[in-house]
Amino acid sequence: MLRPLPGSERARVIWLLDAFQAAERAGVEAVGRWIVACADARLRGGLRMIRARDRRHAALAEARLRSLGGVPGARPSRELAALCGVVADPGVSDRSKLELLLGRLPAREDAPLDELVRRAEGDAETRALLETIVDDERATVRWLRGMRDALEREGA
Amino acid sequence: MSGPEPEREWVIRFLDDLRAAEAASAEVLAAWIAVCALDGLRGGLRVIAEREAAHAELLAERLGEMGVAPSAALAEPVRAAALERFGSERVSDEQKLATLLARYPDDTSATRPITDVLDRLHHDPETREILRLVAEGEAATVAWLRAYHAGLVRPASRV
Repeated sequence: MLRPLPGSERARVIWLLDAFQAAERAGVEAVGRWIVACADARLRGGLRMIRARDRRHAALAEARLRSLGGVPGARPSRELAALCGVVADPGVSDRSKLELLLGRLPAREDAPLDELVRRAEGDAETRALLETIVDDERATVRWLRGMRDALEREGA
Repeated sequence: MSGPEPEREWVIRFLDDLRAAEAASAEVLAAWIAVCALDGLRGGLRVIAEREAAHAELLAERLGEMGVAPSAALAEPVRAAALERFGSERVSDEQKLATLLARYPDDTSATRPITDVLDRLHHDPETREILRLVAEGEAATVAWLRAYHAGLVRPASRV
């Protein structure tokens, strides 16, 4: 669940973009370390695309928040930092990482993503930016789920 | 099923052609963004342009790992015409959307060239998964643009 947002509409959007770019950057770093340790070529291929997209999502969010007069300064939450630590850990199996990531999604997986878009309601450009980024995030979740199922079937 | 060497040859050609198309698309979208009058459309185009650029970047990286320098390029007259049309302030955003969407009459037309390759790519699972996500990205792009265009042309009374 996202935390409550501060003050004015513009301040809220800037806060949202800042939190989002920090989370994406943390994810990019963790996935980068996972890729280095990953021995499964299929998983590595998909993770590389996910990292490439997330890196650009972070840059887009930062550019938008700067155009609104903000300065990036957010840091990932303690919970996210811990999750990234596990994802980056070469000692944890690929299957465990997939289970951990997918296990964090609530029963209705779209809920937090929809909330992210809804919070930019009054700013059409930011809203569309987040809406299309969320399309990528949904594709990521679908692909991760497919990989988890494949690894489970293979008993990897 | 083909062996790894013949597969490698056509895969390299396909990756390079796709990379060139994605890079050109990112360039044309950047020209459109620069003159786009609609805030919402501009926001979506920014992400779509970066999505295309990410695809091109990763495909080039993959070609490099296969020992190949990317060399394919869109025919210059085609590239120049696209830049002129999509970078023009005289052509409306609605017209640009209609032009683009006319190339994709159904939901699978943007992804079919890639999904056809997935079924034939037996010896390179890393490239296969990269392409699978490229196809997902293309589908998301067309779906978002189609939804936006539908909202744009729908009469206000029917909203």
